[in-house]
Amino acid sequence: MMDATRRGFLYGLGATLGSVALTDLLAAEASSGAGPSGEATSQGPLASKPPMFPARAKNVIMLFMEGGPGHMDTFDPKPELTRLHKQESKLTAGQETGFKFFVGSPFGFRKVGQSGIEMCDQWVHLADPYVADELCNYRGCQAESLNHPEALFHMNTGSRLGGDPALGAWTTYGLGSENQNLPGYVVMTELALPQGGAGNWSNGFLPPHYQGTRLRPEGSPLLDLASPSFKTRQHQRRALDELARLNRSHLESLGAEDQRLMARMESYELAYRMQTEVPDLIDLSKESQQTQEMYGLDQSETATFGRQCLMARRMVESGVRFVQIFSGGWDSHDYLERGHTSRIKSVDKPMAALIRDLKQRGMLEDTLVIWTGEFGRTPDNNKRGGVYSLGRGHNNQAMTMLMAGGGVKPGAIVGGTDELGSSAVECVHPIRDLHVTLLHLLGLDDNKLTYFHAGRYKQLSQFGGQVIQELIA
Amino acid sequence: MSSFRLSTVLLLAVLLLARATTGHADEAKEANEANERLFTLKVLPLLKDKCAGCHGGAAEDIKGEFSVLSRAELLRGGESGEAAVVPGHADEGTLLEAIRWESWEMPPKENDRLSDQQIAVISRWIDGGAAWPDPKAQQRYREEAEKELVNEDGMIASTSGGTSAEWTSRRYQPEDLWAFQAVQPPSDLDPQAAPSQHIDTLLQRRLDKAGIEAAPRADAAALIRRATYDLHGLPPTPEEVAAFEQAWQQTPDRAWQDLIDRLLESPRYGERWARHWMDVTRYADTGGMANDFERSNLWRYRDYLIRAFNNDKPYNEFVVEQLAGDELADASVRERHQGDEAAVRRARLEGDYTPEETEWLIATGFLRLGPWDNAMIDADEARQIYLDDVVNITGQTFLATTMRCCKCHDHKFDPIPTRDYYRMYAAFATTHMAERPAPFLEVESREGFDQGRAHVRRLLDFAQAEKNRLVEKREAAAREWFEKHDLPYKNEQQRKSLPDEQKPPRHVGLTIPEQGQLKVREQDEWIWQRRLERYEPMVQSVYNAKAARIAWNGARKLRIQKPPKKAQPLVNHILTGGALTALGDVVQPGVLSALSLPASPGAEDPYLVTPDVDGRRLELAKWIAHRDNPLTTRAIVNRIWQYHFGKGLAANANNFGAKGAKPTHPELLDYLADDFVRHGWKMKRLHRYIMLSDAYQRASVPADQERLQLEDPNNELLSYFPPRRLTAEELRDGILAITGELTPSRGGLPIMPEINMEVALQPRMIQFSLAPAYQPSRSPQQRNRRTIYAYHVRGQADPFTQLFNQPNPNESCERRESAAVTPQAFTLMNSDMITDRSIAFALRLQREAEPLEQQIQRAFQLVFSRDASPTQLRDMKTYVRDMVSYHRQHVPEPVEYPAVITRSLVEEFSGDTFEYTEILPVFEDYVADTKPAEVSAETRALADMCLLLLNTNEFLYVP
Repeated sequence: MMDATRRGFLYGLGATLGSVALTDLLAAEASSGAGPSGEATSQGPLASKPPMFPARAKNVIMLFMEGGPGHMDTFDPKPELTRLHKQESKLTAGQETGFKFFVGSPFGFRKVGQSGIEMCDQWVHLADPYVADELCNYRGCQAESLNHPEALFHMNTGSRLGGDPALGAWTTYGLGSENQNLPGYVVMTELALPQGGAGNWSNGFLPPHYQGTRLRPEGSPLLDLASPSFKTRQHQRRALDELARLNRSHLESLGAEDQRLMARMESYELAYRMQTEVPDLIDLSKESQQTQEMYGLDQSETATFGRQCLMARRMVESGVRFVQIFSGGWDSHDYLERGHTSRIKSVDKPMAALIRDLKQRGMLEDTLVIWTGEFGRTPDNNKRGGVYSLGRGHNNQAMTMLMAGGGVKPGAIVGGTDELGSSAVECVHPIRDLHVTLLHLLGLDDNKLTYFHAGRYKQLSQFGGQVIQELIA
Repeated sequence: MSSFRLSTVLLLAVLLLARATTGHADEAKEANEANERLFTLKVLPLLKDKCAGCHGGAAEDIKGEFSVLSRAELLRGGESGEAAVVPGHADEGTLLEAIRWESWEMPPKENDRLSDQQIAVISRWIDGGAAWPDPKAQQRYREEAEKELVNEDGMIASTSGGTSAEWTSRRYQPEDLWAFQAVQPPSDLDPQAAPSQHIDTLLQRRLDKAGIEAAPRADAAALIRRATYDLHGLPPTPEEVAAFEQAWQQTPDRAWQDLIDRLLESPRYGERWARHWMDVTRYADTGGMANDFERSNLWRYRDYLIRAFNNDKPYNEFVVEQLAGDELADASVRERHQGDEAAVRRARLEGDYTPEETEWLIATGFLRLGPWDNAMIDADEARQIYLDDVVNITGQTFLATTMRCCKCHDHKFDPIPTRDYYRMYAAFATTHMAERPAPFLEVESREGFDQGRAHVRRLLDFAQAEKNRLVEKREAAAREWFEKHDLPYKNEQQRKSLPDEQKPPRHVGLTIPEQGQLKVREQDEWIWQRRLERYEPMVQSVYNAKAARIAWNGARKLRIQKPPKKAQPLVNHILTGGALTALGDVVQPGVLSALSLPASPGAEDPYLVTPDVDGRRLELAKWIAHRDNPLTTRAIVNRIWQYHFGKGLAANANNFGAKGAKPTHPELLDYLADDFVRHGWKMKRLHRYIMLSDAYQRASVPADQERLQLEDPNNELLSYFPPRRLTAEELRDGILAITGELTPSRGGLPIMPEINMEVALQPRMIQFSLAPAYQPSRSPQQRNRRTIYAYHVRGQADPFTQLFNQPNPNESCERRESAAVTPQAFTLMNSDMITDRSIAFALRLQREAEPLEQQIQRAFQLVFSRDASPTQLRDMKTYVRDMVSYHRQHVPEPVEYPAVITRSLVEEFSGDTFEYTEILPVFEDYVADTKPAEVSAETRALADMCLLLLNTNEFLYVP
C-alpha cells in the first residue's frame, strides 16, 4: 500500500527494484544450474561451493564511489599540480576540449600509520593507524570508457556495453552462498540508482539466481516483501495453507511428480520465512549504541552510508557472499573542494568503522573490502560557463582504489601515476586484470569460471587476464 | 641348370636384399612424409590456434620464454630449461603434460583446451620424430590435402578465405555443418498424407526406435487452454470452453480444427506472436545507455509487427522489409516519379510517401532496436558499435548465426571467416540512423495524441517556469554585481567570454540547492521539449549515405543530413582483433560465403553485393530471404516450433553453429523448412498443421514417467506435451482478462500500466540529471491493455514483467527463462497490483453470480476452465466465510496518489543532497482501480479467494 501522508513522498532514499532473485529451490527449473565445474547442484543454484583452490577471501564488500573520485584529491598526492594551478594545460587526456588549465588539489596530504599510506587531510577516521595500516592503495588500474554508464558497467561487469554478469554474480555463481534464506549478492544504493541502473548488478546470461538483490536501507527492504497493512501474519498463514491445499490437489490430479511444481510450492514457504528473516537481518537496533555511533548513524552526513556499511557487516556475518554499496556524487566537474569534502565526509567514518569492526571481530582476514570508482579524474579542467571552474574531467588513464583484508597486502601502495596524475605508469593493469585478481583472492580461476552462452564459454575478463601479484600479501 | 638355379637364387637373394634395403629407406621416407603431413595439416594449426597467442609473438611478449614458432624452440623448451619436445619420445618433453593439464594446464582457458584426439595427434607427431618441413613443403602438403574435400578428418568448407591458410583449409565434422547445407526434406513421405501427419511420422520414428509410448490425447479443456494461450497469450473464457467441449463431444477433430482457425483469425494472435519477434529483436521504446532517450514513435514498428502476423505476411517479405524497407520505398518513389532522383531526395526530407512506402519505412525499425548512444564516445567508435550491433542482430535473428566472434578473428568453430563478417559490415556501411518523416497510416491509432500533448506541455511549462524563476534570480544578482563594479550588465551568454574578474561568479545569487535545481530544470525543459516529437508523423528508420556526421549528443536527434561536402571515399577493411586502427585487407560488401548461395550469380565473386551506396542492404536482404538459404528457412520454422513446444527442434534458436545444439529431428526440421517455402512462407499454415499433429495434442503427463526418466528425461522425443509456465505478458494479460478489466487496443502510443509505485517514483540517474518519474496512464481503460502495448524503457523495467522473465532488451533472447525465484511469490501475494486485481475479480464475481457457491464456481471456470470439486467448493466456502469475519475486524487504509513529489539528489556541485519538487499531473484527476478500502468485507473476503486462485500452479502453468 502507498502511504501518502506518512512518507510524504520523499523518494530518493533507495527504493527497491523488483528484479530480485533470491534463494531458489528450483534446481529442476534452473536448467543451467550446473556449477562451474559442471557438477549438478541438487541443493539449488546458490548452495555453497568450495573454491577451486585455497581462497584468501570468502566474502566481498565493495564500496562503489559513483562518479569517479579524483585520485589526486584522495590518496595520490600531486604537488606538481599545486605548482601549476590555473596554468594552461596542453594535456589530451579526458573528453574536455578547448582551453584547459591545471587544477591543484584543494586538500593537503600526509602520510599516516606505520605504513605511511598517503591520504588527503579530509580523511580523519580512515587515517587512524589501526585502520590505515590495513589498507592497500592501488594506483595502477586503467579504465577504458570516459562516460559514466559504460565505465560503471565495465568496472562492475567487465564489459562496457552492459547486460553481462556482474562481478558479484560471477562470485556467487562460483561459490554459492552460505545462507540459503538470504540472497547471495546484495546491493545497496544511496539516493538515486546509479547510471546504468540494475545493469550494474545484473546476472547477465547467468541464471537469474545470481542477480544482485537490491535492499533498501529503510522501509520494506525488498519490493513487496510485506503484506498489505490490513493483512496480518495469521491471515497470510491461512492463505498459504489454503494455497498449499489447492496445489496439492492439482499435483495429485496429475498423477505424476513434477519437481518444478513442488519446488514452486516450497518457494511460498520460503517467502513466508523470509518475511521475518530479512527484516531481522537489517534491524540495526540490535547493534549496541557504541557500534551505531562508530558507524556514524547518529550524524546526518554519515547516517545513510553508515547504516549500509553496518548492514554489510551483518550480512557478511550471516553468510551473504557479496555486498555492494553505491555512493554517488563524486563527479566533481565544478566546485571540487565543496563536492569532495562532503563526499569524503560521508564515507570516511563509516568506512573506517567497517574495517575496524571487521578487524575486531576477526572477519577482516576473510573479507575483502574494496573502495573504488569507475575511473579517476583529470589533472586539468576546461572553462565551464566561461569561468575557471575548479573541478576535473573524467580520466580513464588513471584512478585510485583502496582494498583491505581478504589477502591483499596491508599498508602498501601499489602502482603509481605520473607526476600530474594524468596516467598510470607503474604496475599498470586494465580492469580485467583487477577482476581476475579479485576472483583469484576468492579462490576462483577466471579462466575456469566459465559459462557457456551464445556459442562460447564466457568469463568475467572476457578474454582472460592476469593476476596482479603485487596486490597480494 | 644348377648354376643357373644358383645364380637365380643368388640373384633373387641379392634382389631381395636390395629390396629390403631400399624398402627400408622407402618406408622411412614415407614415415617422415606422413609425419610432415601430420605436422602441416594437424599439428601446426593446433600450435598456431592454441599456443601461439602467448607463445608466438615478438620476443618481449612471449610468456615463460617459450615459443612454439620453430622446431628448435620446441626442442629447447622455455624458462624451466627442460625440453618441451623430445623427438621420438612423446612421454619425455614438457609439452604433452602441459596440454594434458597435468602440469601447467595449457592452454589455460577451458574454452581453448585440447581434446583427447588433439593431444593424441601431437603425441603421435612427437613419437614420429616431430618433423617440421619448410614452408614450401607445408604449402605442398596443404594443396595435396585440399584436393580431397572430404576425408576421415572431416570436410573442407569453401569460403571467401580466412586470415590464415590453416583456417581456410581446416576440416569440419560434417554434423557440425548441418545448418549450412542445403535443406533436404525426406523423400520417403506418403504424398497423400497431410503435413500434420508427416510431422507425426517423423517424430514417431524416434519414439519407435526408443520403444517409448506416447501419452494419450489431452482432454478438451486442456487443449483449448493450451491453444488459446499459445495463439493469443490469453485464457479461454468459460463460454468458449463450454462451446468447445460441446463441439468436441460431437466431432473432436472438427472442433479442434475450427478452434485453431478461429484463434488464427483473431487479432489477438498478432498481439501474442509479435511479442516473440520482439524478444529476438530486442524491442524497447528507449535507446538505453547514458541518456536512455525515447525512440519516438517506435510503437509504429511494434504495430507493424502485429499487423504482419495478423495479415500472415509472407516471411520472405517480412525479412526484406525489415532489412531494406527504406530502399524499397526509395525505389517506389523513383518509379512513381519516372526515375527522378530529386523526387526521391525530396520525399526523404518531406515524407511524401504512400501508405505502402510508409509501411516499408516503419519496418526498418528493426535496424534501430539496439541500445545506442554516442555520448562521450568517439565518433568512429560509436559508428562501429552501431554497425557491429546491426551485423550481430541480423545474424542471430534471421540466420541463427552468432557473428560476434568473427568481429575479431575467423570463427573458431563455424565456417565464417572474419572477411565475411566485414563483408556484411560493409553491406551496412552506408546505413545511417534517422528519424524520418512519414505520414501516419489509416490503420495506425492516434488515440490519446491530444491528451498526451497537453500532458507533456504541462510538464514543459512547469519546467520552464521553474527554470525562468531561477534564471531571473541569478540575473538579478548579476545585475547587482555589475552595478556594484560599475560595469555594464551582460547576460550569461554575453559574459561567457569575459575574464573572470570582470564578471560575477558562475552561479551568482543562487544557493547551492538552487544551483542543482536549475540544472535539473534545464534538463527537464529539453526532455519535455523533445517528448513533443512523439506526436509528429515521424518514424524510426535509416537512410543510405556515403557518410554522415553525428553531433556529440547526437542520439538526441538523428535526422537525415545533407551529405558532407568532403566525404572520404568509403572503404571497408577487416578490422583485425576488432580494432578500428588495425586495418586488414580491404573488403567489399557481401554475404556469408560458406552457404555456397550466391548473392550475385555469375559475378566474378558471387558472394559480393553492389558496392554502390544504395542497394547493398536490399541485395543482402534478398540473399537472406532467398528460398535456398538454408539458415533462414530453418531458423524461422525452428523458432515457430519452439514457441509451440517450448523448445526448438534445434535448441539454440539463435545459434545453428557447431556450438549450438544439434537438431533432435533433422529430417522434420528440413521437411518443415521446405514445406514452408513451397507454400508461400506463410506462418499461419505452419501453425495450423503443427497444432493439428498428434504430438501437439498429447496430454502433458507422460504415459510412463519412470521409464521416461531413464530413456528421455528431457522429453526430446515429445512423447508428451511439455507444460510451461505463463510468460510475464500472459500472466498480466491473463489476470486482466479473468478480472474482466482487460481493454482492447488498436495499438498506437505506448500505454503506461500502473507499475509498482516505489519503482515508478524511484529516482534514476541519466547523463546530467534524474529521469522524470514514471506516471501511469490516467484511466483503467487506457492502462489495462495488453502488455505488448506497454512502454518499454531500457533503464526502468516494469518490476512485475521483469520478475517473470521478460527478457532484458539489450540482448537478443532466443528462449525465455522461467526459473522461479522467491520474489515472484512476494509479488503475486503482496503487491498493490495483485491486490487491485483480486478486488476487481471479486467485484466481477459479485456482478455475475450469486450466491457464494456460484461465485466460487464462476471463479474456478474463469481461472482454470473447470468447475470446483465438491471438496474444493466446501473448502473455499469455509475460507471465504472465515475471511468475511476477519475483514470485518481489519479495515484497510485508503490509498492516495501524489500529484507532487519531492525528490532528492546528491549534487556534484556541492556533494550535498538537495531536494526539488516534481509534478505528476496524471494524479490530479487519476481514475484509480477500486481499492480494498472502498469495498465491503464480503468483497475483500472473496478477493482473498481470487488471489489464491491466481497463485496456484494450475493457473501458472499451461497444461
